[in-house]
Amino acid sequence: MLQQYIAIAIIFFFIFRLVSQKRKNQLETNEFLFWFIFWLLAGVTIINLRYIDELVARFGFSSSGINVLLYVAVIILFYLVFRIRLRQEKVEREITKIVKNIAINNK
Amino acid sequence: MKIFCVIPAWNEEKKILKVVNEAAQFVDSVVVVDDGSIDKTSQVLQQTKAIVLRHVINRGQGAALQTGNEFALLNGADIVVHFDADGQFLATEIKEMVQPLLNNECDIVFGSRFLGKKSSLPFWKEFIIMPLAHLVNKIILGRTLTDPQGGFRAMNKEALQKITISQRGMAHCSEIIYKAFKYRLRIKEVPITVIYDEFGQSFGGGIRIIKDLLMAKFLD
Repeated sequence: MLQQYIAIAIIFFFIFRLVSQKRKNQLETNEFLFWFIFWLLAGVTIINLRYIDELVARFGFSSSGINVLLYVAVIILFYLVFRIRLRQEKVEREITKIVKNIAINNK
Repeated sequence: MKIFCVIPAWNEEKKILKVVNEAAQFVDSVVVVDDGSIDKTSQVLQQTKAIVLRHVINRGQGAALQTGNEFALLNGADIVVHFDADGQFLATEIKEMVQPLLNNECDIVFGSRFLGKKSSLPFWKEFIIMPLAHLVNKIILGRTLTDPQGGFRAMNKEALQKITISQRGMAHCSEIIYKAFKYRLRIKEVPITVIYDEFGQSFGGGIRIIKDLLMAKFLD
């Protein structure tokens, strides 16, 4: 129970940060909505952990709901890291184009 | 036929002068792409007739070759030869590389260390790294040649226009082979000699090539 309170407090902190960043126009609306929904879902999941346990058991998993959530979180994190790498690679390619154009135009 | 030799160079102040002077005997223009060197590579080249293009920051050999290719095309090149700055290749072999293009036998010529001429490859490069490179090319790209990672090649205008090198690192070798097949270019391999005084591509470098090739699958 205490862990759930702590988790919810952390989620509130992140939502507060998110809203303040949006107010300062540091976030695009799309990005704001993505993270807002993300933290909201995280909060709902934490509050309903018991139901998650039942749901997980119904699907035939032997571990508890929180463990399954952790596995899902790790998978999502891997995916996000991969997306960031792809985006970084695109930026690298753009930088290369700029460097190439400078080299050719300076001749 | 206007022949350009493109030499990507990164911190090659000690060897570049000899390489450029030798290559210049066999081509109309030598273009050195100084890939953000922090030594005197660019300054040393002022003693030569070579055209020096300078990358303001280091972008890798593949990026330097693409810069050289585009410059050569803009300046009326009919044939471009890719040549290393570290003195591993023999400039005298440029003639043999270019001849099939002059005879219109093919669109792209790849130099191969494994076609007769004896290169002093380190043991584990010849028997471990190269078979692995063949395997990687076949699995990831579906194509390979007798020399999967050779840097000595020559292309005609058609090949230059079709092949855009997007791999800025060492994976460009595999990428060029792949694109040559993809665009159905006429390919020829010519035996070359490679002189090794350093190991060349490290194992970590090989892993980076695999990573870059896989990443490109999601980008292109």
